[in-house]
Formats: sequence, structure tokens, C-alpha cells
Amino acid sequence: MNEFIEQRVSLTWQQPKKSYDVVIIGGGGHGLAAAYYLATRHGITNVAVLERSYIGGGNSGRNTTIIRSNYGIPEAVRFYQRSVDLYATLEAETDRWVMHKEKGMIGLAHSEANMRVEKARAAVNTAFGAKTDWIGPDEVKKMCPELDMTGGGHYPVVGAAYHHSGATARHDRVVWAFAEGAMKRGAHVHQRIEVTGLQIAGNRVTGVQTTQGDIAAGAVLCAVGGHVTSVAAMAGLRLPIRTHQLQAFVTNHYERTFAPILSSGPLLFYVSQTARGEMLMGAEIDRQPSYSYRSDYKFLQGCAFRAVTLLPFLRNLQVLRQWTGVCDMSPDYSPIMGQTGVEGFYITTGWGTWGFKAIPASGEQLAAAISTGKTPDLIAPFSLDRFALDRTMADRGSAGTH
Amino acid sequence: MPKLDRFPLTRIVSTPALLDGIQTSTTAIVMRTAPDELFWLGSPAAPVINDPHAIIEHDTSFVGTWLSTQAATAWVSANCEWQLPTTRPVFAQGEVAGLPVKLWIEPRRMLVLVQQPFAADLGERLQ
Amino acid sequence: MTESSQPLKLIIDGQPVPFVKGDSVLVAMLRNQHHPTGGGCLCLGGDCPHCLATIDGVAYVRTCQVPARPGCVVACTHHAHAVPALPQTHHVEPTTNARHQHADVVVIGQGKSGLAAAELARTAGQTVVTLDAAQGQDVIGIYPGAQVVARTTQGMLIVHVRQEIIVATGAAELHPVALGNSLAGLMTARAAQQLQAAGLSLGRIVVINDANRLVRFEGESNVTAVVVRDDQGLEQHVGCDTAVIDLGTTPRNMLHRMAAGLPGVRVSVVGDAATNSDVPNCPAHGLVCHCSQVGVADLQSVWDRGFHELELVKRASLAGTGTCQGGVCLPYVRSFLANKGGTLQPAFTARPLARPITMGEVAAGGHHHVTLRTPLDGVHRAAHAHMERAGGWWRPWNYGDWQAEYWAVREAVSIMDVSTLGKMLISGPDALTLLDRLYPTKVSTIKTGMSRYVLLLDEKGYVLDDGLISKISDTRYTLTFTSGGATTAELWVRDWAESWGLNVRILNQTMSLGAINVTGPLAKELLARAGLEKPPEFLSHVEAHVAGIPCRIFRLSFTGELSYELHHAAVNAPVLWRTLLDLGKSLNIRPHGLEALLKLRLEKGHIIVGQDTDFDSTPRRIHHEWAVKLDKPDFVGKHAVLRTNKVSLDKILCGLSMEGPPPIEGANLTVDGNYAGYVTSATWSPILGKTVMLAWLKLSNDLAPDRVMIDGRPAQRTETPFYDKEGARAKA
Repeated sequence: MNEFIEQRVSLTWQQPKKSYDVVIIGGGGHGLAAAYYLATRHGITNVAVLERSYIGGGNSGRNTTIIRSNYGIPEAVRFYQRSVDLYATLEAETDRWVMHKEKGMIGLAHSEANMRVEKARAAVNTAFGAKTDWIGPDEVKKMCPELDMTGGGHYPVVGAAYHHSGATARHDRVVWAFAEGAMKRGAHVHQRIEVTGLQIAGNRVTGVQTTQGDIAAGAVLCAVGGHVTSVAAMAGLRLPIRTHQLQAFVTNHYERTFAPILSSGPLLFYVSQTARGEMLMGAEIDRQPSYSYRSDYKFLQGCAFRAVTLLPFLRNLQVLRQWTGVCDMSPDYSPIMGQTGVEGFYITTGWGTWGFKAIPASGEQLAAAISTGKTPDLIAPFSLDRFALDRTMADRGSAGTH
Repeated sequence: MPKLDRFPLTRIVSTPALLDGIQTSTTAIVMRTAPDELFWLGSPAAPVINDPHAIIEHDTSFVGTWLSTQAATAWVSANCEWQLPTTRPVFAQGEVAGLPVKLWIEPRRMLVLVQQPFAADLGERLQ
Repeated sequence: MTESSQPLKLIIDGQPVPFVKGDSVLVAMLRNQHHPTGGGCLCLGGDCPHCLATIDGVAYVRTCQVPARPGCVVACTHHAHAVPALPQTHHVEPTTNARHQHADVVVIGQGKSGLAAAELARTAGQTVVTLDAAQGQDVIGIYPGAQVVARTTQGMLIVHVRQEIIVATGAAELHPVALGNSLAGLMTARAAQQLQAAGLSLGRIVVINDANRLVRFEGESNVTAVVVRDDQGLEQHVGCDTAVIDLGTTPRNMLHRMAAGLPGVRVSVVGDAATNSDVPNCPAHGLVCHCSQVGVADLQSVWDRGFHELELVKRASLAGTGTCQGGVCLPYVRSFLANKGGTLQPAFTARPLARPITMGEVAAGGHHHVTLRTPLDGVHRAAHAHMERAGGWWRPWNYGDWQAEYWAVREAVSIMDVSTLGKMLISGPDALTLLDRLYPTKVSTIKTGMSRYVLLLDEKGYVLDDGLISKISDTRYTLTFTSGGATTAELWVRDWAESWGLNVRILNQTMSLGAINVTGPLAKELLARAGLEKPPEFLSHVEAHVAGIPCRIFRLSFTGELSYELHHAAVNAPVLWRTLLDLGKSLNIRPHGLEALLKLRLEKGHIIVGQDTDFDSTPRRIHHEWAVKLDKPDFVGKHAVLRTNKVSLDKILCGLSMEGPPPIEGANLTVDGNYAGYVTSATWSPILGKTVMLAWLKLSNDLAPDRVMIDGRPAQRTETPFYDKEGARAKA
């Protein structure tokens, strides 16, 4: 018996109706969390989530499952800390095991310039509730004895920012917990239905066109990843989004003894050990925009090369699988959430490399926005109109890799 | 580590048409690095180009080494993703061993050049 | 001693055991009554997970694929599905290397159909690379490019394919799914043949060739009987030592599925790998996925709870997520789902790696990103400078005493290696037009022989870079950019020049020129000693010899002191550097590094693009409106600047000063306990006796507060420059 086999979640599928109060496009973590919070926080259950493939099959199932709030600007730290907090109580709230584990995250510095950046980050994090300390090399070594402190002779470790609430959770489990929670309360989730158009009357969205017919809607939330610009274009919106590949890989399963989440900005590499014992690694986004889900060997080679520089023991581990997700990047490296200028049409996008960690907070806040018609303070800074208004959320802390 | 030598050369930046018209030499190495740029290495000196706006730069920043065909083949096969042209002599450039290199390939040897900021890494990666 | 008199031995769980030449590790183990995992149907074909062990420190190795070598150390870390420990250190391994090869056609698999396919391609005049697992060439993945990557006995091989990838990987034998299918003593028909050929005794054999009749396997750890259903439907116990499974095959088409749809290359599949993947009968009992220990009951359980899509079933039940990536279980999982849902779902996505290999092997051929070295790198290191990575270059941080370096600049003379500056030469009839459109300043008003500090904006009106434009003639200019900004700047300038169709010649001189900044009140004296009689006036430039070396000398100042920047051929940098140090000895010269420079420039309030600016820094926010001439016809970013100027100002980059030591760069500002921005640069100013800073300060009601708190200490807004406000020293 494998303890990691899903034992409890029960998914209930329904026939699609002709009309819903809210239609959510995209059955990934963000869309399902929005449905969940609409149901649990606002009593809105006449909701359909439309997924063109299977739930969690996009980036929700392709990320590296890291939860953290050590971003670079106060607005982002506050928002992600809300998500960190919601994640911490998600298992108790849903009575489902999502393999959540607080591990702490070590952001290594290898030079004076890195040290400056990591210390600055620690300052803004701590000030806004995301406790992060600057730690010296001795403490780093204590927390992660596997580290080669010389960085293979090339990248000596001079210290690190230690983000206490860095955590991981199993991505699929998170998707299912939200799906089940929403379904149990009456929301519909439909797989294999693709949205092909939006119905708009005047300046108001009234429904969606799908591969299985039209569905009327009081409000529509676009929560898709990858092709968000195409969906937004159906509403006549142009989004400042470019889509890039982000790749990752895992090793086989080993005893769980590697404690922290470890990341090195200069080496463009990060690693953690999953609940099942795989070493899970990733790097930076591909600079060339692309929608492709194909992995490449050069990424694997380069990432493995940098990984073994810091953690020599990894040399002997077997690589099991690699994969690719796509990242919707906004110009300021911050997400875009809320109203769009088309009445009743809401959006959550720009999730770059930080979408998984934002799932609960994004779902909660958009549910509030949809149910009240008012944008909550927590996400107001992330509205789409900020680009036109020169109020961008420039966040160097987000321009990391995961 | 193989010894790297300095290869002073002349860079000529001009219009593609004027560069097309330059008579190459049998003794100098002439590398057309871009439609609007040409490297001239060795004697005789580079010809005068009839372009008052041309940039003629005596560039002392290129270093490199000659590899035997055998050493070159081994190095390229271990470090180069793209296929080298097969005619000889021939100029090629691109990423090899993670470095931006310029290659001059003759029937029996190959010249590998990088700019000085990459020299130390080239030395290590030639081993 | 001869080979024959000394028996070959390998070490299994600490015990030396003999083996026979030609044995795989698995055969050697079985020969000595060791089963690597304790049970499961062995295939000896590299398909199943039942022969995994740790060999020479590497876990998850298929022992059937590794030839036994004397002294090789085997540990049964996977026995009874145990999870191996993470290695504490890495085992010293033979150097792995990577090589690239180019071919028209790659044929994967050299069985009958693979051989034929390769021969056909060769006959057609195509260059062919063949890869065969039986010859130690394990294809681990097929990637865009197209690339076929294999682990070979000579290291990693990356084949770049021009025309066609032919998958001829044959078929794997089906494994039994029934109660007791994880007992030892089960093996496929091919495995049994191989073991018999190796001289192993299999004892009493029962051959299972009809899945419909198979009920279960019985035994404690080793199979002792197979229970089958006879023609009357009655269960029959057949005692045995070995159960040979001959249930037919399933195509090994994972690589074909991985490659299918790759752009730019044909992908075909031949031979047994191309057979229709008919699924076996729906299993009723027993383990389906041995890697993840998933039974039929587990599949049923997730099915009953709404997991119906194959991809969801895989993720919920974990079937197919282990070492063999579905190689054994996928046919059965599909069969199960077809039986439940009525339709046969397509196989799940085949992702690399097709075979696990170590990270050490994967890393072969990798390189670190290069950190660039200036022509003076060796000189700095010889002087025991503390070198740091900054902006993509190795740069001297200090030479052991930043304070002495600082005072040398302020009170005597110092030199700094600034070769890292982006440097570009623009020539041509349209040079002025190009620069006038690129930069927000009026380039046309720069006189020949003069320079001007400029900002470079992007289309959004945000600061991209800063630097200097110097006019050499009506058709020739030099540009400088920040260190680390040169490559982006070159692309930027070339892109615009091309899209505007301008007649210019562009040369990036960043790496071909060295640059040394001579700075300090005695800078002029030093240069006079080096033979420079007529140094340039402030913000002008000349061509002249310094210490016999031809230079272009720019007169500007980042440190706030009298400064001359000497640009020269890279090759001359070391001689020039040493000569200046020699000539300056009696002037108390010493070179300075970045650490001192960061303080010197901060006292002058000079910004560093990237440190003090952010993605959204408009000229207005950083108080550089003077650098932007909105009455120019057009320049990149003009429309954005006009637009953003209409919006109220929300934050500014400003100077702050305070008593006591500096806060960290990044410290928060507060006003009345509320967040009001953060420090971008901070230093204790030795000459002013206080801390000076640059910081982003939020405006409230369009007003910038005069006083803020930083870490509980008050700081005062202060006009920059903090030091020598009139700039008398730089212009001296």
C-alpha cells in the first residue's frame, strides 16, 4: 500500500446547464479556488468551471509546488502572505491532505551584489509579515549540510536570506481539494468543454460560447493559463502578456532527508524534496516566448550542471522525468487581477512563475470581487488599468525563477 | 591548458555591397562576420575601402589558438551543437562550449578565436 | 595469477560473490540466490522495475542492463520496495562526457526491423546513426531540434537529426496482473530463455500463456504454485519453482509517442514497436503498478471517486509515475479504464526521460555562464584584489583597504578599471538622426569634441540605461552604456537603426577597448607626468597619447573629483595601468575598487541604473526631467513620457541623510508609522561625517515628506549632491 495514493477526494461530475450565475474559464487551481471561495465564503454555488482538458492539467500540474511570500514590494508581500496563510490552514478547512509542509526557504547569496539584494528583500518581507532573516554561511551550512559552500570553487556561499514560511504542497492535491470543495457545495466543473467565444451585450458580458453550445453567465472569470491573451481578445481586450516556457525535472524517490527549499539566484537553480521523496528542480524561464510544452535537453543539462555544483550528492541521483509549463509574464513581473473594463468580465493572469503559490489568495480575492462587485484592497494594486495609469507593480523580487 | 595567443586583426564595418567587393587574399585570413562587418587577419594589410563612413578598427582583443584537425574535431564534437560547414577553408561562428567563438577552418587545422573577456574560460574549456 | 584461477567476484550487500564472465549484475545475483527486489516478474529486457538495486552508489539501476564487473558494489536498497536513502556524498565516478553528432536519420533499436530500416536509409545515401540498447546505447529522450539523446558506454551522445527518426524499439512482454504477482520466481518467457542459456537452473517450470486462466500465484516469498482455471472453470494448483509468463507483448512505443509531432523531422515507427497497442484483459486482482505499489483495488477506488480521465487516474493512483514510467502498467490501466468507461483512452503523454540516468551524466558537457574578465583581470588578481561578480564581469571590489582607496580619490589620485563600460562607435550619414531618435536629449546640440550625459528610455518611457554621447565629427559618435548593459544596448541600437532603415555603421567596442579612469585632485598632474600636455576640458574629449599609448580621453566625473577616462586598445591596458601607478607613486596613488566607488558616487548623488532605478523609473520620478527634451519632434519613449507626465506623481527617488551608521540598502522608510518607501543606496560618508542615501519616497497628497524614519532613526530629505554641490572639484 502506497500512502501517497489519493484516498479521500471524491469528484462529482454534472451535465452542463444553459445558464449560471458565474462561469469560470479554466479548471486549474485558480479557477477552481475561485469557485470554492464563491461557494464557501459567499454562498454563490450556481457556478460552472469550464476546462478544455482535465482539471489541473495545465500549469497547476506543472509547477514546482513552492509556496512563499518573500517578494520584493509591499503589495506583493501582503498578497502572497495571505496565500501562505490560507495554504497553512487549507488541510484543516477542507479535511483533505494536500501534503502541505512548512520547510523554510534558503535564498543563497554568492557575491556582494547578491547579498545586497537578499538583505533588501529580507527587510521588506519582514516589515510586511513574511519573516525573513539574513543568515551567515555557518547557519546556512547547518540548515543544509549537503551544500558545497565553495560552490564548486566558482560560487562560494556568502550567506542567505532565510524565509521562514517557505513551504511546499502537492499541486494535484490542491487542485482536487478545491474542486471537490466547490462540487460538494453545488458548483459544476465540466471537463472537455472549450470556450470559443464570449457573448457581450453593450459593454457587458452575458455568456460564453463553447464547443458544447452557448452558456449564459451573470459574470465570467477568465482563469486560464497560456492562452489568456486569446480569451481576453474575445472580450476585445489586449493584455500586456508574453508567454514563456518554464521547465523542471524530478529525480527518483529517496528517503526524505533534504529539509529546506534551496535557491540560488546567480546559479539560476532551485531545489526541494517532495513529500514522496523526489528531488524537484527548476531554473529560469526561457527567454524566447513560446506556447510549447516540449522540454529540451539543454535545459536539463545546464540545470543539472549547476545543481551538482552546489549539491554534489545529486550527481548520483537518477533523473526520472522532466516537463514544461508556460508562464504568462506581465511587463512588471506582477499578476493582473480583477475587473477589466468589460462589465462582468474578470481576469486573473500574469502568473508568471508564481501562480501556484497564489492559488488560494487569488481565488479568495476574486470570489470577493465577483460577489460584491468591488475590488478588495488586497488586489486593487494589481488591476489591469495600472499599465495605462503608470502605476505598475515593478517587483524585482518576483523576477526570480519560481 | 593550451597557450592562447593574441591575434590582432582589422575589423571593417561598412555597407554589405562595399564589403562584397573586397578582394580577399591568399595569405591573409578574411572572415565575413556579418553582412556589414569583415575581419582581416595577417598580411598583406587590409585593403582601403572606399567608404568615408567605414569604421576601421585595429582590434587587439581577440585571442585564440590553432588546433590540429584531430583536436578540433574532438573539441567541436564535445562542445558544439551546430554542424560546421564542410568546405575548406571556411569561416564559422557561434556558440561552442558556451562561448561565442569565431572559427577559421583550414584543411589541416582550425583557428579558434574569442574576445579577451572569454579567454580564461576558453583556456579551461579547451582542456 | 591468471584470470581462470582467480574467480570473478562482485560485492552484494557486503559479501563477495562469484560471477561468470558475460553475466549481467542481475544474472550474477540470481546465480547466487539473490533477488534484487525480492520479487516481481523479471523481464531482463530493461522494461520492468523488479531488478533495481544500488550499484556503486547509484540507486534505481536496472541490474539486468549492467554487465557485472569485478569489485562492483551492489546494495539491495530496493528490496521489498524500500526507498533508498539520499547519498550523503557523491561517489567518485568516471568522467562522463558529452558529444554531438549530426545525421540525416537516426534508427533507435537494432533488431530485425531496425537493421532493415538503417540499411534502407544508407542505401538511399543518407547518413545514419543507429542506437541500440543491447549495445549499451540507451536513448533517454527525443527533443526539439530534433535531437535524440542517448547514454552510451562512451558518455552522453546528442544526435542532431536532419530528416527522420525511426523508432524500432520492438515490444516488451506483458507482465501478469494477478494476486501474488510480486512473488519471486516469476519471469517472462524471454527472461527464462536468457537465464537458462546462462546456465541457471529454474527448477520446476509452469508456463502461463493464457491470462484468462490465471487465477493467482502462491508462495511465501518465492512462488510455489500457480493457480489456474481449467476448462471446466475449476481452480487447479500447479506446483512450481518458476512461473514463466508468456502472455504476449505490448509495443515499446514510448519514444515514438515522445517524438510524434516534432516539427522539422519525420518520425516513424517500424517492427514490433509499430504493432497496434491492443490492451490486455481488464485485471481483477493484484498489483498493477509495481513502482508505486498500486493495485487493482486502488484503481477501482479512485475510479469510484470520480477520477476517470487517464491523466487524473495516473495522478491520483500514482500508477505509471515510477521508474518504469508506465512501461509495465500502462496497458493494464488503459484496459481497466476502458472496461469501466467504455472507451479506450489514448496513452498518457510520454515525457523524457525514457530511461533514468544520473544527474552526473546529464550534467556532462554543461558549463557555467561566463563571468567576463577585463584586460586588467590578471593585474588585479596579482595585486590580491578582492574580486566580485558585478554586472556580468569580474571586478575588483577592493584592494584590501577601501578607506585608503576612498581617500586617494578625494585627496590625491587614484585609478580604476572601467573597461566593463559598454562602448559603441556609430558612424554614417544618418548617425545623428539615429541618436536623435534614440535619446531624449537634443543630440544635435552636442558640439564636436564634446560629451553629454544621457538617459536612454524604452517605449514605455522608463529608464533603460544611462551613459555618455560624445561627438567626434558630424557623422561619427561614441556612446557609452552601463557595465552589463552593453549587449542589450547593442541589440537596442541595431534594432532601431534597422527598423528606421538608417545609413549607419555600428561597432560594439566594449570588449576591444580597455578603459581606465584617472580621478582625484592630482589627476591632471599624473597625466602630465604621463606626457599629456593638453588634457580635455570638462565634458570634452580628445585623442592623445598617455604614457606613449594612444587613447581617447573623456573628461567627466562619477566620483565627484577631477576625472579623466582613458579608452585604449585592450592590449595596452596592463602597460598603461602599471605606468600610471609608477608615475603616481610620489602622488600617493592607489587604485580603487567598486566598494570605494559606490561610496564616492553616492556622495555625489549619482544614480546607478538597476540599483537606484526600477522597471518603472520615469525621468520625472528620478528627477532627471532635464535630460528629456519634450520639444524634440520624436524620440523613443516620448509618447509614454507625455502620457505619464499627466498622471500625478506617486513616488520620487530622493536624497536622504542621517546621523549614525547606514541602514542596509533596502531598508524601509516610514512616515507616522506608515510605509513610505525604501532605501536603494546607503553609505557612511567619510568626508561628510554622516550617512547619505538614495531612496524611493512615496508622496502623499502630491507632497514628499521632509523627514522619515528608518529602523527607528530619523532621516532628513537632502538635496543631492551631498558633497561639493556646485561641482567645483569635478570641473576644476
